[in-house]
Amino acid sequence: MKLLWLHGLSCSGNTQSFLCAENPTAGELLSRFEVLYHPAVSWEADETEVVRKVLTSSEPLDVFILEGSVGPGARKIAGKEFKTVVKEIARKSKFVIALGNCAVFGNIPAKRSPEVKGLQFRFSEEGGVLGKNYRSLSGLPVINLSGCPAHPSWLSFVLLCILEGGKLKLDEKGRPVEIYAYLTHHGCPRNEYFEWKIEAEELGKKEGCLFYHFGCRGPMTHSPCNRILWNGVSSKTRAGMPCVGCTEFDFPREDMFRTKHAMGIPEELPLGVSKRGYILLAGVAKTFAPERLKKRLIDENQ
Amino acid sequence: MKISKKVLGRVEGEVELRLRWKKGKVEDAFVIAPNYRGFEEILRGKPYLDALIITPRVCGICGHAHLIACVEAIESAYRKKGAEVKLSQKATLIRELTLSCELIQNHLRWFYLYLIPDLIKLEPSLGEEYVPLRGKRWHEALKASNFATKVIALFGGQWPHTSYAFPGGITCDPTSFEVMQAKEFLRSLKTSLEDFLTGMKLEEYVELKGRDFLTKVSGDIGKFVEISFSHGLDRVGSSYHRFLSKHGVLYHRLCKFDPLKVKESNGKGYSWSKTARYNGYPFETGPLARRMTTADKTFRYLSRKFGDSVMVRVLARLDELVRLTLRSLQILEEIDLSQPSWEKPPVDIDTFSGKGIGVVEASRGTLIHKVEIEKGRIKSYDIITPTVWNLGPRDDNFLGVVEKALIGLDSELKAEIVLRSFDVCSVCTSH
Repeated sequence: MKLLWLHGLSCSGNTQSFLCAENPTAGELLSRFEVLYHPAVSWEADETEVVRKVLTSSEPLDVFILEGSVGPGARKIAGKEFKTVVKEIARKSKFVIALGNCAVFGNIPAKRSPEVKGLQFRFSEEGGVLGKNYRSLSGLPVINLSGCPAHPSWLSFVLLCILEGGKLKLDEKGRPVEIYAYLTHHGCPRNEYFEWKIEAEELGKKEGCLFYHFGCRGPMTHSPCNRILWNGVSSKTRAGMPCVGCTEFDFPREDMFRTKHAMGIPEELPLGVSKRGYILLAGVAKTFAPERLKKRLIDENQ
Repeated sequence: MKISKKVLGRVEGEVELRLRWKKGKVEDAFVIAPNYRGFEEILRGKPYLDALIITPRVCGICGHAHLIACVEAIESAYRKKGAEVKLSQKATLIRELTLSCELIQNHLRWFYLYLIPDLIKLEPSLGEEYVPLRGKRWHEALKASNFATKVIALFGGQWPHTSYAFPGGITCDPTSFEVMQAKEFLRSLKTSLEDFLTGMKLEEYVELKGRDFLTKVSGDIGKFVEISFSHGLDRVGSSYHRFLSKHGVLYHRLCKFDPLKVKESNGKGYSWSKTARYNGYPFETGPLARRMTTADKTFRYLSRKFGDSVMVRVLARLDELVRLTLRSLQILEEIDLSQPSWEKPPVDIDTFSGKGIGVVEASRGTLIHKVEIEKGRIKSYDIITPTVWNLGPRDDNFLGVVEKALIGLDSELKAEIVLRSFDVCSVCTSH
């Protein structure tokens, strides 16, 4: 299968993230494709020539991966506007993968100009560069792998599915459900503190939930970060850092290290939870919270 | 007269190299960063702690350095206003460790994934072992680079793009389990480097001094030295022979680095990159500059003999990789886990106003973040990346550092090798 990987307006963090892949490694996985061009791997192929060839070829391209957003500020390739190149390649591709939040939703570069977009979205707005109704030759919309960056195993999963001819189920934002059905909250080691409403009052501690004061988006962010661990070993919340919601359309939001409160409860509640339910549950939980959760997990005086 | 134009991969992002040829030699050279995202514009008006999340996203390969520069800039603003920032030794050491590991992965990926393919073109006998995707060594090197990224993740949660460093410390609260895991990853890394990069114990490698260095180096470093001599890489790629790092500024003599003497301009405007000058002069930054400004005897000797050539510049990067691996193992012995990870600085973040600067030695050299905060929001944010020093365009008085190094070369391949010897990152260059 022929694979083409291009950078738009990006930090190339998804390339670097993918190079961290394991089981299979990035090298092992790419070796199973005919890589026409990859920015970090290709050494004989010239990007301009490859793109020109793809654009003029009568054969379809199997997999087109775009990393980075599209719009003003992006370079030209083979004398054509980057946006035009992307549209023309997408038209003749069997599968199009938007890798990372820039390619999916526009992300940071889209904050500069309304003309900077992701492939089928610009933040919450549908459409993007290819339009809401775009379908690739396989009949699928763009396969969106959101995240800043996306975890390497998420991409590997999609590429392996394509190789094996398996079916991909996508959610309403074009994201594979096996990956994005989960919330960051699922599997977070601070879950018990969340259950009993025990708040982290400061950073740098194993204990306490970061949702109440430090802006953690774990309970409303679709990502399996605590199910499929980063670099095989950890996740942001495991390292005491609040989830910043980088797989969602509204990343980056403002004032991300703070939870805004209204009348004593967080303004934004865990996905699908009502205010009334939250207040009721929080009251009960706080009242009956076990004492052991109010102490250090490992007694330093022991 | 011929003008060649090529967009290059195997750099961070893409870079356009435009060469003007006369009688088979490069007469003039232009290095162009073709994309622009506008981070400094985007940061304006935002609550200043958001910069800890946004600035690492300038760069996918050195984002961690941006995080550390950002947190140091904010902490320096606090200190200038008289707010005490207590930073435990534990937090300081763990920040140093994760930053070092980012440099380690960078140097490994740069050498094996980005530079060596050019060397195969120069010296085909180097062989199949190093070919991207096909060669065994290519896969081994990539795997080794991930021992370092795992160490960052153990403390920072993930790599790339964590924001675990926070004014006053770090967010993680590791136990001796994480420390032990990190040691094991670094030991595996050390074994890999000994297997193929140095061909000897790293402890033996660091004992190689002065004249002995070139005759005794072994492994892939040794192979690189051989190729350098047989293809003249010891004689090409010299630039201004002026070096800058946060440790000092070297031109004729070594002076203290003073950030107030750094000025940025738009240069001649053919690239999205700005250009940086120190006291009005261009300077090279990066691992070679770090060696030269810390008066490393071996590299002073090498540069006396072979100038700031491709060979010396590449060796400096590999040498740093070895030393940082040993240093990282040592840091893990020094961490006292009983110390606090974070101590809240006495600052009201909503009303804080002040100015700060963070200076960090990143993979490609000196990275400077300058922030001005007004009532809790960013009034201005200025990022001077290492590649602005090296890859920035010419101004009225001087060619860019890399541009100067390219003049007089006799082949396009050599021009690419010279360019890559600086470790190109175009996403940082234009940001």
